[in-house]
Amino acid sequence: MYAATLFGANYIAYRIQEAIYAQKQAKGIAALVLGNPPYSFPSVWQATANISSFLLFIPGLILIISVTNEYSYKTHRQNIIDGLTRRQFIVVKIMSAAILSLISTCLVTLTAFIFGMADGSNAFSFEGFHYIGYYFLEAMSYIMVALLMAVFFKRGGLSIGVFFAYSLILEQIVVLILNKYTNYFGRYLPLETNDILTPFPRVDQIINRLTSNTPDYTTFFILALVYLAAYLFIVTRKFETDDL
Amino acid sequence: MPSCVKQIFMAILTVENLHKNYGPIQALKGVSFTVPKGSVFGILGPNGSGKTTLLGIVMDILKASSGSYQLFDEKPTNAHRQHIGTLLETPNFYHYLNAVQNLKIAAAIKQRGEGDIDQVLQIVNLEQRKFSKFSTYSLGMKQRLAIASALLGDPDVLVFDEPTNGLDPMGIAETRELIKKLNKAGKTIIMASHLLDEVEKVCTHVAILQKGTLITYGHVDEILVTEDIVETGAADMQQLLKVLQQYNNALQVKMNEQHVDLSFAPGKAELEAVNRFCFENGITLNHLRLRKKSLETKFFELTQNKQ
Repeated sequence: MYAATLFGANYIAYRIQEAIYAQKQAKGIAALVLGNPPYSFPSVWQATANISSFLLFIPGLILIISVTNEYSYKTHRQNIIDGLTRRQFIVVKIMSAAILSLISTCLVTLTAFIFGMADGSNAFSFEGFHYIGYYFLEAMSYIMVALLMAVFFKRGGLSIGVFFAYSLILEQIVVLILNKYTNYFGRYLPLETNDILTPFPRVDQIINRLTSNTPDYTTFFILALVYLAAYLFIVTRKFETDDL
Repeated sequence: MPSCVKQIFMAILTVENLHKNYGPIQALKGVSFTVPKGSVFGILGPNGSGKTTLLGIVMDILKASSGSYQLFDEKPTNAHRQHIGTLLETPNFYHYLNAVQNLKIAAAIKQRGEGDIDQVLQIVNLEQRKFSKFSTYSLGMKQRLAIASALLGDPDVLVFDEPTNGLDPMGIAETRELIKKLNKAGKTIIMASHLLDEVEKVCTHVAILQKGTLITYGHVDEILVTEDIVETGAADMQQLLKVLQQYNNALQVKMNEQHVDLSFAPGKAELEAVNRFCFENGITLNHLRLRKKSLETKFFELTQNKQ
């Protein structure tokens, strides 16, 4: 299902690109703005990472459901009673998050490879492959935020609601407001940090030129890691000290 | 000291000054006791007295606000819990899995083999439904599965929280028999219950909890002593009371609305002697009756005195 959605979303973007580049006039403008088609090597890694990152709520959802199921059936209690430590239990859930991110990253890599080959305008290249690495980091962060919601709210519906509201809308609003009224502080919000790392090919450069403010990607990379470490710490601590 | 003697005196569970607050509500107010090895230890108390909270803390699913506890005379770890079979509050299983799959998970966590799954299901009479999903079970069957899960791996200590909850009369009788049988086989059983009668029937030791306070604990025979009560009545009740207060054989003399009650140790009440004593002191009784004090009355007395 998830694989199909991932592939599907990229297919839509790919078709849009195909349509634009098929028309002569549009192609001229697009080529001027975007250069080579985004779904050709080497930018295909980045394009696929960007489009696929909009679908990260799906693995997040899977994890929320798996954790809140434990809460609603109280099986997390039973597992502890039967002799798991609290840490073992939560580490297994964090491992699930890592595995989901890994699967997601593999699917994205495969998708990018297929579309790059299908487009065929450039020869295969690993250039820009580090965007797949950023995608993994982004996937891990989104899924850990989902786990954070599950551990804090414990109820499935509530966790899902807050997760969606925050990741899809609330944070974006705050980012926009902060970016408008401060010196782009909105970019430093937890999920936005990751979004910055996987922009759509060349669009980011255009925007940066327009706003004359280029983010320092190394800083964002480190910041994303710091946020991830914070999620790990908070989730583990919350689960280890809470009444279950 | 030979090791076998040492084992007899080993404490399975020691609770020291446990406090637990849920916000402003104090669920446990400094509870301390010891569960000796080989006992059937009943934790008795009305609903909301803190029984489950207490066991929850011991099982590490709740964190005590203060105080400590020990398992097997050691600092508690998950390895200890692996050797305790526990049924806490409600049966907690994966609804979409069947009995055998659920027990396999429990066995894996306890790091025991799956060999005795069939055997424990047989003990609780669930073999016919062992491949049905848990969600299709009735309350009683869920309870039976929880008992089966607790028995996995033949643990030396069993913790049962309201074990007969939701069971039919047959199931209740079977469970009590099972508890007695397990105890005879040398296992220590800690059982929480609000049913006095249940505690009296199966337990060797009892702790009585009331609103988070431990009222008393010890051997069942010492705590839940039953008394014989002699009800007396006469035309002049005040005079009767005054006279009977001189009667030395009674443990206690009390007046209620209709009668003057004298309590005696079990089997020590002699109606004739009471009657003769009253007559000799110038009172003619119009009511004289021997009554066994019910456990419920005793329980109410115990819980009300300390409020």
